[in-house]
Amino acid sequence: MSDSDAALVARTLEGDLNAYGVLMARYRDSFGRYAFHMLGNREDAQEAMQDSFVRAYRALETCRQPDRFGAWLFRIVANRCRTVRHRLLRYRRFDAELPDEIPAVDPAPASFEWREEIGRALARLRPHYREAFLLRYVEGLDDAEMSLVTGAREAALRMRVKRAGDQLRELLRDVHAG
Amino acid sequence: MPADHDDELHDELLRRVVAELRRPVRLDPALDARALRALREDQRRRRPVRRRLWLAGAALAAGVLVAVLLRLPSTEGTRPAPAAVAAGGLETRHVEIRLSAPASSVAVVGDFNDWDPAATPLQPTAEGGVWSVDLQLKPGRYHYAFLIDGRRWEGDPSEPRATKSDFGAPVSVLTVS
Repeated sequence: MSDSDAALVARTLEGDLNAYGVLMARYRDSFGRYAFHMLGNREDAQEAMQDSFVRAYRALETCRQPDRFGAWLFRIVANRCRTVRHRLLRYRRFDAELPDEIPAVDPAPASFEWREEIGRALARLRPHYREAFLLRYVEGLDDAEMSLVTGAREAALRMRVKRAGDQLRELLRDVHAG
Repeated sequence: MPADHDDELHDELLRRVVAELRRPVRLDPALDARALRALREDQRRRRPVRRRLWLAGAALAAGVLVAVLLRLPSTEGTRPAPAAVAAGGLETRHVEIRLSAPASSVAVVGDFNDWDPAATPLQPTAEGGVWSVDLQLKPGRYHYAFLIDGRRWEGDPSEPRATKSDFGAPVSVLTVS
């Protein structure tokens, strides 16, 4: 049986970096998916995740509910994604990477094009809309959790989710119909 | 934390979009090793991380007076706060965070610095026992707390407490408008 988050956090706080390595491996891909969709490419997603892991370690003393380490780490990841995105906007145009590096499960040609179109549509959303949509439907957060992660009011977040959905539908309608 | 909200998706197209976005994304496992290298360097420079952030006792709580003074950029006066523009183009606000407490070090941790205890130390002022730091923050709502002497975690009694905290410790809410 694998160690619980709480046990791994406790070992990390005693100085066991290998325990922290287990935590990183546990959350790398699941939270990395959010970073990938928010930032639009794998390289920046990896940078955001690496940064998040380092910052989370340095702040681990402040994680008062080690059994909820994942929720705590996710908030740091979301913040990091915002910071990285702001920096990217300063230096280069934000655009979605074509997801062609590491195959997802069963990448059939048709789904490859579909993923490509979704990535482009997602990149065209306002960042706050993209963030709200991903948090709601991909990460499965409820209103209160989304508010905690983003600092925005729940009503505003519901509006962002709805507008994101409307815009995605508009952007992808022709592709879907074809 | 995760739950699916598929029942809210009444549109077949959006259901397909969400299904696609939920597919696994695999990042380079080597990023863990890079992070570990940075952390080992940390360990060499800093004392080992130790747990125990139990709250200050009643004596400390009674002795702590915290005030966050929000000063908006002024259009009048002899030395208005300099205008500042954040990377995103929004004008920032000058926020002075002050803490009166017996301590040898004080830091503020919050959404604005990714809860990094090393990022925003407060400096002692000439008033004696009063600590202060100036921040430039964009309008918004921030969760934050104080870390006293590197181990005691305190919310800010002069600001509203967050109703829910992932940290399990008192966290305050600062609204910058």
